[in-house]
Amino acid sequence: MAVAAAHAGAILGDHDHIHPEPQGFIRKYVFSLDAKVIGVQYMVTAFLFFIIAGLLAEIVRTQLLSPNGGFVSNDTYNGVYSIHGSAMVWMVIIPMMTGGFGNFVMPLQIGARDVAFPWLNLISFWLFPVSALILFSSFFVGAPDAGWTEYPPISVQGPPGTSLWALAIFLIGISSTMTGLNFMVTIMKMRAPGMTFTRMPLFVWASLATALLNMVATAALSAATAALFIERTFDVPFFDPARGGSPLLWQHMFWFYSHPAVYIMILPAFGIVSEILPTFARKPIFGYKMIAFSSIAIALLGFMVWAHHMFTSGLAPWLQLPFMLLTMVIAVPTGIKIFSWLATLWGGKIEFTPAMLFSIGFLLVFTFGGLTGIFLSAVPTDLHEHGTYFVVGHIHYVLFGGSVFGLYAGLYYWWPKITGRLMNAKLGVWHFWTTFLSFNATFLPMHWLGLAGMPRRVAQYRPEFQLWNDVETIASYVLALSTLLFIYNAIESLLRGPKSPPNPWNARTLEWQISSPPPYYNFKTIPAVLKNPYDFGEPLPYIGLDRELDGQPPGNGHGEPAPAHA
Amino acid sequence: MAQVTAPQKQGLGPGFWPVTIGLTILNVIISWYIIVTPIFDTFLHLPEAAAPAGDVDALFTYLSVVGNAIFVYVAGYIIYFSIAWRRRASDPPDAIGIQIHDNPRLELWWTIIPSILIISVGIFSVKIWMNLQNQIGDVLTMESIGHQFKYEFRYPRLKQSVYNEAHIPVGTPVTMQVTSGDVIHSFWVPAVRLKADMVPGLVQTIRFTPERIGKYPIVCTEFCGTQHANMVGVLYIDSQQDFGRWLSAQFKAQGQGAGPVNLSQGQATAGQQLFGQKCSACHSVGPFSQKIVGPGLGYLADDPDHPNLVTGEKPTGEGISHVLINGYQGPDNSQGKSGPSLGVMPNRQANGLSNGDIANLTAYLLSLSQKK
Repeated sequence: MAVAAAHAGAILGDHDHIHPEPQGFIRKYVFSLDAKVIGVQYMVTAFLFFIIAGLLAEIVRTQLLSPNGGFVSNDTYNGVYSIHGSAMVWMVIIPMMTGGFGNFVMPLQIGARDVAFPWLNLISFWLFPVSALILFSSFFVGAPDAGWTEYPPISVQGPPGTSLWALAIFLIGISSTMTGLNFMVTIMKMRAPGMTFTRMPLFVWASLATALLNMVATAALSAATAALFIERTFDVPFFDPARGGSPLLWQHMFWFYSHPAVYIMILPAFGIVSEILPTFARKPIFGYKMIAFSSIAIALLGFMVWAHHMFTSGLAPWLQLPFMLLTMVIAVPTGIKIFSWLATLWGGKIEFTPAMLFSIGFLLVFTFGGLTGIFLSAVPTDLHEHGTYFVVGHIHYVLFGGSVFGLYAGLYYWWPKITGRLMNAKLGVWHFWTTFLSFNATFLPMHWLGLAGMPRRVAQYRPEFQLWNDVETIASYVLALSTLLFIYNAIESLLRGPKSPPNPWNARTLEWQISSPPPYYNFKTIPAVLKNPYDFGEPLPYIGLDRELDGQPPGNGHGEPAPAHA
Repeated sequence: MAQVTAPQKQGLGPGFWPVTIGLTILNVIISWYIIVTPIFDTFLHLPEAAAPAGDVDALFTYLSVVGNAIFVYVAGYIIYFSIAWRRRASDPPDAIGIQIHDNPRLELWWTIIPSILIISVGIFSVKIWMNLQNQIGDVLTMESIGHQFKYEFRYPRLKQSVYNEAHIPVGTPVTMQVTSGDVIHSFWVPAVRLKADMVPGLVQTIRFTPERIGKYPIVCTEFCGTQHANMVGVLYIDSQQDFGRWLSAQFKAQGQGAGPVNLSQGQATAGQQLFGQKCSACHSVGPFSQKIVGPGLGYLADDPDHPNLVTGEKPTGEGISHVLINGYQGPDNSQGKSGPSLGVMPNRQANGLSNGDIANLTAYLLSLSQKK
């Protein structure tokens, strides 16, 4: 085996496998093949879209200040929330999670020099800004108005931008599929010698489960968006009941992707939190195997529950039962994860860095979002809650409180590794508290508004709902402003931040054992792995690491001793 | 290098049992409160207006008790552990936590207990689901058809449809068959807790038995176009007598309203009052460009930029009355040729306009233009 031989050579100090670093700005930073650069490209691009899609959300909230709306026209409003949802899902969270953290962190954590197919990775990335531009440009021709789910027949009749929407989602879907394949092969084939499955860091486990979902599920979305595009452009009646089509066909295909997609968005956050909690509690992750296997269990179960989004849609009644019960089953592996994280906190020496605060905040709000999910899984209660602000509240608890809190945690955690500079921790703590409080004030009232009868996707609403809508809107302004703290902190750190040592958190996974930022080739010598990485107080379980790279000494640079190493 | 130390006899940490007892007491109090309080009625002003609502609320209460118990424990322990096991200033920089990897017995328990809870939730949900399937309803069988942006109701033997306001008699099991005439809508009566999407080409059935006399909103929860937010109906649960009276009035009205509209009898003052009730949600009395949903109507008869009505007709009394009678759904013909759609306007049935109403409104609209 060539791979095995290369690894053996690496252990013996053979450096033949280090490719020369490309020179010139374009090859280095624009069309780079380096997974780390591509990861940063993903993060920067996705964060830019996060700001745009967040501003769209503020237009939505401003409209809802008054029961009569009136801030923008109904058509503009409908386009704004549709693009807000679509962009947050496909142009922010998924690219940031898999494209950003997956590319930057995962190869480093498995001791690889790059992903398996760097050219494919380059194409995956460049499809992303292209499809995002197509999506946002739909505003110029009439943005899609039927929400991020774009149910036909309304989406078939929708504004011209709906075709651009379908095209954009088709392209980003291709990108996701390719990244899934790429990461799957990378994790299966390119781990450092000795890194068995049970020695993989948990973020790698999460990336593996996500890659599986990306690779298998996205095809259904591509087919659905292609069909929508074809029906709109060439009038082939896939979804028109009058001519033998079915509106429910779209819903099945869309949710066959989009339910797994919620796990595509949340599993990497699980992985990020599973890295951060042990590091700042200075404890091994509790129940490593259960967390790893529950990721896979959730990914597999995630394929079998899509129709729980369709309980009111006209599903055959007997079909409601298996989908309801299978959905409830997912609560068990998810509960196991939450209890394991809770037990990881117990007995720790917990240090409240911004990354840790966001992880703990994640635990709180994600648990709440998971529990409201049970209310939605039971058919009888779902019949009341479906299509209301209860659902809007629920998805924001799992996607903002879950995924975005996970993203912030990951950004604070890996920032020194990515940039080589430290962030202002005090400002980070402020960022956490303002975000955490305003997040809850924004999204918690949505639950009872929905239960009381406020439907989603409305530009006007009944006057009795105004009080809580106003609370939400004002809180959402605070939430938007709190993001400025992060942006300021990031820019300040890039310009004037103190240089980061290789391992500022005294963490034990492989990426922290090389310089910050890592060199082009990641590892001068590919290390061998003896154990899983979470045993604090023990020697590092790696052999053959060249720890004196780039003149940076090991240790965290502010007086703490480095963990002893073999 | 640190030695792998033998596991020490380790307690659960300071305050573990007091906190656990405190959280348990808190849970008992909250659960008791959830069980004895009718949540929907008390906090959301949603009575149980029809039969399956009580069943749905019972399940909701059970889910609230289970969910709340889990959340209080998880959140309580997160906060407590974060405080009790925080790194203190006195800790040496290389202090580490208790190196424990797992505890198979604990993990078994926290798999078994949630599994039991989830199984109980599943059983309860299936039971309520069976109740929903077994609702009787066939005493009054009616249809509701969703349109952009109104609900059409059809009653047995009644020739004309009723729009947006449905009346049903209390105590009579109702079967509502819902479908759509255009895009997907949804039929939701929050006070009944039931919802079915109105899907073109598909008929769904809702069965319920109204129990409380009153007036309850019907809400569309599937995005159906520009005026989705204003697609609201009213479900009147009437006493048997009121319902009988209402229904016989409907039968009497059958075939009426077909006669010609006598425009000469229109009174602008009556029309003004009617405009405030029926039209002003969508139309201003300002210039054309002052849109709410549809255009402003203040210069309807003398606007040089818009010499024609959307139908292509001249803005005479005759032309205006045609729009009021037929509503409007289609392209903008005001420039003489087919233009983009401006949206839709309900017809006289949907707006509930009598012949007299149409004459009065026409008179009022014409008077607006003459004043200026």
